[in-house]
Amino acid sequence: MNQRRFVAAVIPLAVAGLVLSACSSNKNSGGQGGSSGGKPVFKIGYEGPLSGGNAQLGLNMKYAVQLAINEANAKGDLPFTLQYTEADDQGSGDKSPAAAQQLIDDKQVIAVVGPAFSGATKAAEPKFADANLATVSPSATSPLLATQGWKTFFRVVADDNAQGPADADYAVKKLGITNIFAIDDASAYGQPLEKAFEDEAKKNGAQVTHQSVPGTTQCQAGSGNTQQYPAVAQTIKASGAQLVFYAGYYCDFALLAKALHQAGYTGKLFSDDGSLDPKYIEQAGADVAEGTYISCACADLSNDPKAQKFAADFKKLAGFPISVYSAEAYDATNTIIAVLKELGASATRAKVVEKLRTVDYQGITKEVKFQPNGNISGNAVYIYQVQGGKIVSLGLAGS
Amino acid sequence: MCLTNHFWDYFVPGIANGFLYALIALGYTLVYGVLQLINFAHSEVFMSGGFGGLFVINWAIADRHPHGLSSVWFVLIGIIAGAVTGGVVAFVLERVAYRPLRRRHAPKLAFLISAIGMSYFLYNLAGKEFGRDARTMKPPFTVTPSKPLFTIFGASVNLYDAVIALSAIIMLVLLDRLVQNTRLGQGIRAVAQDADTAALMGVNIDRVISQTFVIGGLLGGAAGFLFGLGTAGVSYTMGFTPGLKAFTAAVLGGIGNIRGAMLGGLLLGVVENLASSCFGASWVDVVAFYILVLVLLVRPMGLLGERLGRSA
Repeated sequence: MNQRRFVAAVIPLAVAGLVLSACSSNKNSGGQGGSSGGKPVFKIGYEGPLSGGNAQLGLNMKYAVQLAINEANAKGDLPFTLQYTEADDQGSGDKSPAAAQQLIDDKQVIAVVGPAFSGATKAAEPKFADANLATVSPSATSPLLATQGWKTFFRVVADDNAQGPADADYAVKKLGITNIFAIDDASAYGQPLEKAFEDEAKKNGAQVTHQSVPGTTQCQAGSGNTQQYPAVAQTIKASGAQLVFYAGYYCDFALLAKALHQAGYTGKLFSDDGSLDPKYIEQAGADVAEGTYISCACADLSNDPKAQKFAADFKKLAGFPISVYSAEAYDATNTIIAVLKELGASATRAKVVEKLRTVDYQGITKEVKFQPNGNISGNAVYIYQVQGGKIVSLGLAGS
Repeated sequence: MCLTNHFWDYFVPGIANGFLYALIALGYTLVYGVLQLINFAHSEVFMSGGFGGLFVINWAIADRHPHGLSSVWFVLIGIIAGAVTGGVVAFVLERVAYRPLRRRHAPKLAFLISAIGMSYFLYNLAGKEFGRDARTMKPPFTVTPSKPLFTIFGASVNLYDAVIALSAIIMLVLLDRLVQNTRLGQGIRAVAQDADTAALMGVNIDRVISQTFVIGGLLGGAAGFLFGLGTAGVSYTMGFTPGLKAFTAAVLGGIGNIRGAMLGGLLLGVVENLASSCFGASWVDVVAFYILVLVLLVRPMGLLGERLGRSA
């Protein structure tokens, strides 16, 4: 009896051990000198949230990265074979270093698209910099990231120093708002964005009240409690604000929007690219979300003829239409592929980092050229609005 | 200043939060009463109730836009569905994670680990099965926020808060009656006072413990539905913070004490909202737990003391 139990416990362990060792030996034999059909294999890694409350943003990018890789391989003119690999960081700074390490340890990974979120990038980039592994983020917009001296950091999106002030100008000058309540989610992404917004709005003569409201555990965005929003809504209502600016992500923004609605707040809502997702409308409810302004440094490609083929191919691969940052992820991946093409079969991590500094690639969203600190050249910010249950582009903020 | 200005505006939603905490806290306190252990998987019973209520009510409402009397029925259906789901999960939980350990006279720490293990298991299972994104609940009633239900001292009470508070009050009164006046309640109190003696007197301890879990599960599951109703959404991670807060409320009121859990829940809900009004949302936990520590320094057994068995 006891022996049978022992055997029952040991067999699965032994099998697991075999499988694990098989996996690791595979990895070894396919290591640096590995090849398929005589050509070397280069992997492009992707780091972003693939599970957790903000997974949708991560998936928007994941399939774009895969699509770019598939297309490059299908052309058949590459002196190497590209492969896709991924690491899930749940968008969290806590999980991000381990995800980064996973990509760094895979010696075939030659460059990385991501990390997707600013907090995750802040936590992981020192590791990437040590490993001299280039990262091109489609979506991390915290201005801090470009000031750390990380040689491996690049992004194809304008930072919040562009988004925050553009939003403030739009709210005050275009919408004529004079009394604003600004909220950040106490994250590495929300706080600087709110600060940039607040400074510019005050400069424009508006009155701004600020409160930091931690993202909730329900949304996996912080330590906050979902039950905090009714009280916050009361504070906002009592302030007499005409517009609420929320610097954070859609999951918590939806909770706040609903609490505001229930408290009887009737002013305007305004948020950032973290809220530019149809899930915001679904979770807040169409009547609550109606009229919400949302900004993004990402361009709306739905009416752009250049992007129609991309949009169709993406939908075929992913099973859902392109959304926030899909096109930027596609451009980031293609920028890396363009660099690899120039370097040919002898590409290394270090060479990719060097070559990215001087790259000039015409993507579907914009011309990709990097400043010395890794930021993209140029800083267009677009404004969107929820109309009839859909997110509609209102064009450039400054126009 | 902050306590005078708009005091009732913050107080009212605080009460609604407090009733939710109280409903969940009872699950902790009842189980503690009979087993002297903290059921850390209770937050997942709450979450399961949220999903149970969500699926049933979304299915029942379908494409309708309920109003008037039909709204009452839909809320009732949701509460019952949430409660039943919570009760079933709690029952299975006790059978799978606690009873085998009790049979083997496992040390208290083993129960704790078993509970934490079940908590991880359940919420990851829910995340896998129901998706990682929040699910949206169809509203069982239509609200016009500009026209509040009624006002108390100038503070408007919206329908959500009213429904949550009213449902909770009914359940709390029923529970209090049940524990005070029924055979089952007598059994629970007897086991809480002295399990061995109760067994000698002919009380079936296993059955009482099982029933205690189910009662806690019914209340927690109903709270899960009400929580989903208030925020119009349910997600697999929704249990974590409310669970922790409700546990705090139970300790604040005196763990093992039923009326203590109710008092602790209401107090915590109100204190949190007032703290938010005075210091801002990022200070809520700092203030709330500061007060908890102060209370425990003065009254280590909690506000009403630890006494489920003794004339609760």
